[in-house]
Amino acid sequence: MSNIRVIIGMLGMDQHEVGAIAVSRMLRDVGMEVIYTGRFNTPAGLVKTSLEEDVDLIGLSCHSWEYLHYLPDLMRLLKENALEIPVIIGGSVITPGDEKKVREMGVTAAFGPSSTRDQIIETIQRIAPARH
Amino acid sequence: MDQFTRSKIPIKPVYSPEDLAGFDYPAQLGQPGSFPFTRGIRPAGAWSWIQRELSGEGDPQTSNKQLKYLIAQGQTGIDVIGDAPSQALMDPDHPLAANAIGTQGVSICCLQDFRDLWADLPLESLTISNSISSFFTAAALYLVAKEHGVSPRVLRGSIIQAPFFTEDCGYATQMPVGLRVRLTCDSIEFCTREMPKFHAFVEDTYFFSEAGLDVVEEMALGFIEIRHIIRELLKRGMDIDSFAPRIAILLNCSMDFFEEIAKIRATRRIFSRMMQEEFGAKDPRSCAPVITCHTSGLSLTAQQPFNNIVRGAVQSLALLLAGVQAIEISAFDEAFRTPSPESHLVGLRTQQVLGLETNVTKVVDPLGGSYYVEALTDQVEKRILDMIADIESRGDAVSLSDKGWFKAFFDDVMARYAQQIKDGELPKVGLNCFQIPDEEDTLLKDVAEAKFEPSFHRIQWAKDYKAGRDIGRVKAALVRCRELAKIESENLMPPLIAAFEAGATMGEITGVMRMAYGWPYDPFDMTESIIREA
Repeated sequence: MSNIRVIIGMLGMDQHEVGAIAVSRMLRDVGMEVIYTGRFNTPAGLVKTSLEEDVDLIGLSCHSWEYLHYLPDLMRLLKENALEIPVIIGGSVITPGDEKKVREMGVTAAFGPSSTRDQIIETIQRIAPARH
Repeated sequence: MDQFTRSKIPIKPVYSPEDLAGFDYPAQLGQPGSFPFTRGIRPAGAWSWIQRELSGEGDPQTSNKQLKYLIAQGQTGIDVIGDAPSQALMDPDHPLAANAIGTQGVSICCLQDFRDLWADLPLESLTISNSISSFFTAAALYLVAKEHGVSPRVLRGSIIQAPFFTEDCGYATQMPVGLRVRLTCDSIEFCTREMPKFHAFVEDTYFFSEAGLDVVEEMALGFIEIRHIIRELLKRGMDIDSFAPRIAILLNCSMDFFEEIAKIRATRRIFSRMMQEEFGAKDPRSCAPVITCHTSGLSLTAQQPFNNIVRGAVQSLALLLAGVQAIEISAFDEAFRTPSPESHLVGLRTQQVLGLETNVTKVVDPLGGSYYVEALTDQVEKRILDMIADIESRGDAVSLSDKGWFKAFFDDVMARYAQQIKDGELPKVGLNCFQIPDEEDTLLKDVAEAKFEPSFHRIQWAKDYKAGRDIGRVKAALVRCRELAKIESENLMPPLIAAFEAGATMGEITGVMRMAYGWPYDPFDMTESIIREA
């Protein structure tokens, strides 16, 4: 069985990278493979990378409100490409109301400012599809 | 038990005269307002500081209203930040900009926008600080002041010069470092000549230290940038005393109270000695850096946001005890959004309460002579100087930037900070201790969590604006920017000002300057220049 492969990136012009870098290191520390796409991603670009890199999960770090506008596109493109890759998001700007909204869009999990490292890791291990 | 400051300086439970053995008052401190300016750049006497809150939201008209409101509430200067696309020098009609227009600052892309931003403001008497692109803002202020009938020579305020670190941990402009340094020097040279009262050289250590740097790292990197820019300006034949009096440093102020005070005092001493001994400044004003400050946004928490009001007050008190020229308090809802009107008011009122009710500004440098504060100031100074020497021994700042050395440094610091929070090494009340369940954490959450839509109307506005211009004039001005950008010895401010006047946008002008350096017009390859490749 191989490691869980995860994309970590940010959307649009969201440029506060502290969280994305910290989460990437955290996931690598527990043996996951992180494809770090950094800043300036578009939904189409993320879908392309997901296909090329055969990832198990897309993780988006959010420090602006742009994700609320990009996520519907991302979810639609994943569906159109028949990709059943769970999407999770995290960041201090995510409020309980936002979490409800993105879950309705099909996002599997949303981590607000109070989420712990263990919650994030445990969730990824649970929802990333098993690999052979 | 061993105890340390945040930058790992060992501290003792008590300090006494032996900690200052051999202390030389005239050499180490001097009187306030005299060399080496440890005790502040102004002579003793009643003093005040510029009280302002960082603002900017939506379109320029909305931000103009925001400024008028803040001024009406007693704000004594203004400081505006652009939204993410504007900071990245990208027009609102760029496809990647849409969802970020106006949400984290004001959407601004051309001279008309600056006119609208500053409409009806008393440009001749207001201190106009800007957290938007230095060279574009200087160009706009120069032109708009003239339109107001105000001589650029009387303008006061500032622009931030950040050629090295914005790309790595701020808003990337995606220009080669050589062009970034050149535009920094061009705008300083231009303002020194045309806007002599304006602080065209603000070293901003705030934004990059928000990656989680300690005070030593913050100031060492800041001095690396200051020293590089000074050397470049001297190479151009500028006299150190022509521009040095207008250098200001915009610092961070986090929660390690005495260490932050020591940092500011040490920074003044390092700066003044460096200017005199290394760069040969003769004018005392060249050795007296204006210090302004944002309180730390990173120190704030999304949990229990009311605690952030306390943090802002404590940090501001530290700044007043250190003696600074301007303060901006990061808003209590910083973790969620650009400041709400409520949090703006709390920040401003905090400053007013400190200024009017506490008497702390009646005595200059009230901590001067404190065994602890002086010992800590010496320690912080020594460590900053050591780190500057260490970085400069690794190479020139431009080559370190090109090699990604700074980027790697910031990445490590960000990871370190996350670890310190996780381990509890850096206590954060409400975050890693004294937490309460989300459902109980409701105070001020309604304000903090309120959202507004991006200013999507700006997309069509920009398209209409571009369509309505004298396109021949715009193209000619852009060609001139591109061609002069190819000639290293040209100052780019005059062609940039002409292009702004012709109606060219920040995105267009930046793009053709990138082309002159062999870089793509649009780093995202989504838009094309209206002038042909040449």
